[in-house]
Amino acid sequence: MTLPKPEQPWRPAPETLSLAIVLTYLVAAAGVWSGLWGTEWAAISGELHQPPSAQHWLGTNRLGQDVLQRLLAGAATAFEVGVVVAVSTVVIGASIGGVAGFFAHGLIDGVATWLIGTIDAVPFYLFVAAVAVALRDWPGAMHLAMILSFWTLTARLVRTETMRLRHREFILAARAGGLNTFRILLRHIMPNLAPLLLVQSSLVFVAAVKAEVVLSFLGIGLQDSISWGIMIAEASQEILAGHYGNFLAASLALFGLVLSINRLTDRLQERIDPRTHASAHRKLP
Amino acid sequence: MSCIRLAALCLAMSAMAGCQQPDPGADQSEKVYRHAIDGAPSSLDPAHADNVYAATLVKNLFDTLYRYKYLERPYELTPNLAEGFPEVSEDGLVYRIRLRDDARFADDPAFPDARGRPVTAQDVVYSMKRHFMDETRSRGAWLWRDRIAGLEDGVEITDPEQPVSGLQAVDERTIRIELTEAFPQFTHTLAMALSAIVPREAVEHYGQEFGVRPVGSGPFVLERFDQSLAVLEPNPHFDRGTIQLDEEGYDADRHAGYGLAAINGKPYPLLDRLEIHFITEPTARWSSFESSRGVDVVMVPPEMADRVLETRQPLSLQPSIRERYHSLTGLEAGFVFHGFNMANPAIGYNDDPQRERRNRELRCAMRDAFDWSAKNKAFYHGLGRVFAGVIPPLLDSHDPQVAENSIAHRPERAKERLQAAVWQGESLPRLTYGLEASVQQRQMFEQFRAWMQAVGFPPGHFQPRPFASFGEYARAIGQRELDIFLLGWTLAYPDAQYALQLFYGPNAAPGANSMNYANPEFDRLYERAASMRAGPDRTRLYRRLNRMVIDDCVIIGSLARTRLHLWKRHVRMLPDREMVGGFFLRFVDVSDDRP
Repeated sequence: MTLPKPEQPWRPAPETLSLAIVLTYLVAAAGVWSGLWGTEWAAISGELHQPPSAQHWLGTNRLGQDVLQRLLAGAATAFEVGVVVAVSTVVIGASIGGVAGFFAHGLIDGVATWLIGTIDAVPFYLFVAAVAVALRDWPGAMHLAMILSFWTLTARLVRTETMRLRHREFILAARAGGLNTFRILLRHIMPNLAPLLLVQSSLVFVAAVKAEVVLSFLGIGLQDSISWGIMIAEASQEILAGHYGNFLAASLALFGLVLSINRLTDRLQERIDPRTHASAHRKLP
Repeated sequence: MSCIRLAALCLAMSAMAGCQQPDPGADQSEKVYRHAIDGAPSSLDPAHADNVYAATLVKNLFDTLYRYKYLERPYELTPNLAEGFPEVSEDGLVYRIRLRDDARFADDPAFPDARGRPVTAQDVVYSMKRHFMDETRSRGAWLWRDRIAGLEDGVEITDPEQPVSGLQAVDERTIRIELTEAFPQFTHTLAMALSAIVPREAVEHYGQEFGVRPVGSGPFVLERFDQSLAVLEPNPHFDRGTIQLDEEGYDADRHAGYGLAAINGKPYPLLDRLEIHFITEPTARWSSFESSRGVDVVMVPPEMADRVLETRQPLSLQPSIRERYHSLTGLEAGFVFHGFNMANPAIGYNDDPQRERRNRELRCAMRDAFDWSAKNKAFYHGLGRVFAGVIPPLLDSHDPQVAENSIAHRPERAKERLQAAVWQGESLPRLTYGLEASVQQRQMFEQFRAWMQAVGFPPGHFQPRPFASFGEYARAIGQRELDIFLLGWTLAYPDAQYALQLFYGPNAAPGANSMNYANPEFDRLYERAASMRAGPDRTRLYRRLNRMVIDDCVIIGSLARTRLHLWKRHVRMLPDREMVGGFFLRFVDVSDDRP
């Protein structure tokens, strides 16, 4: 006779919780994009520095703007920046890295490697500041600066993997079958690198969100928008006077999103392709 | 809660990183005073010193013929580089000024053997002439254009040797200046940073770099200058005897507790090293001030008002603040306002008279939508004094009777105006709003935009254009690139003429008339008032001019800020920068009990 096994209370797996958190952020951002909430982030809807209330759940800031509205609009900004930079970076990095790796040690590879090395040699924030000043009237200046900086790591990884794959039998067979380089890259090499690119794009997403916050805090980020970085910069004016609303709201929101995506990325990586674990964890700025 | 405080502290520290640390070159045994101002000048050339940031340094690196007495109130002129007050002819047109014989320029490679030479009358003539030379790109020519004979509108000096009939060096030490008409405030202009005396050798030696390699005969020489810090050291050639406090307007009762008596009879400058920290963010300035190794003086930022003030009416400080710091409060001799660029046909003058009338209604509507009370509360402790027009309350000619419609928040009236002038939605012009790249300026923009959206401006119709420094911002205004801009105007002398000149047609940008206001009737009355001596007639005229500015909706304004200065107890000074500008820095002393 055996005792019945005691029932374990259901606990969500950590990645389930992370996924739920990311989805919550995504819903918050989607609400802003579809005009359901967060559209009045610039409006002055109350008295200045009001504490949380039924009307202003997270209180108001120095101007009487609703902190929650700004937080939600900031979530949309974070996703916009993250997705634009991540997708662009991975597309550019994969294209250049793939071609360079396929023609490794040739002229194209030499030029690509030199370009990657040159860009990597410029300190990130200096580079972004230069781009921001040069294109100061263009709202996409910060995005462009991040894309120009971030694609190099993806390119390096893709180049290495492509060099490894290009001598495999299925590639040689494709060549013998008369497929051109472009088709080989697109139909045979890139699908094999999909797990790597997926993980890489999530890492770039997180890096872009964090970089945006830092750049906006420094005043060289978004100019005519709202972001968590701008809220934290505003908080630097308020916390000494004992007003913590902006600071807590924006920094906790950033913390939650970054932590959750990092956690998801780890799990994703382990499930899809454990081999890439080490290489994909190289640090972005 | 301690975690929150720690995080808050980290955040504040990061905000002020790079701007509060004392310069590593400072020696502990030296008398060092660390001053703080809220913006960085882009040039230290006197010809570009039309803002308080540049003027603060220029008045200490160069000499002006006159300056204001350190402590005398109301403000009073005293000779500086001049030996005495000018001899003025009966008709008020001819001024003879004699220079003191002991003034020398600081040593510099621009001079033969790198040795500074005596300042001469020829230097004074050259310094004024160069404002009218194209390559100087002066921001001060408006000060004397049409006032000094031979420098009429359109005249350009192409050669420093080119004679100007109203500007002559009679001998090595005597200058003769002839005006086109009486200008009672003329001597005051000779105390402004724009009139500081420069040596021709240095200007020609350094060319465009003269703005960052200044050479003058003032009490200090420049040791270091960048966007965060200027370090000044005493000019060994500067010898003006000893401080006579009685002559500077010292009053034992009024100045009790400041420790100023200790500097009486001492030669000046009194410091071994003067650091001027440019810290844009108010809370970063405050954090630096609270740090033992940070700046020695601060203008209290609005965020700190609740911690610093015990009561607002009457104004009194918390006992702990009174105990730890010296303080000085008072209304500024100036004001802040938002200006419209009247040269832009989309918002100002237009060839089509009907559009011009609609533009006026548009500007007036924006003024009605503006909420000075809210702005005062959010950014000026709620202690600023909002007033109609541009003659600040500090002046006798301030008009308390003028209607206050122009400073009332009337969003409904704004909507009516827009509707009546057929302005709606997308038909409203898209306008560029200039700002310095700081959190506070960005918030001011957001506040402005929110008010405008509330009366019908679509989102996105105000395009913010941030500038990294005040110098860049001022340059853009001078080049008429901005449609709406926030400006502060500090009076250089206690006369409404100095404020009204902001609207005098010939002073249009890059001169002081940043609004590019061009009203012939205003110009005619202004010219008449400018040659009148102080009295009821002139006051009446000033007030009429003030009403014209209000009626034409050229600006949204104004507000005079209440200055609330705190400084550390070991520093002996009275940091009143109104009118006196940076002149007070030569009299700052630091006691030996510096912590």
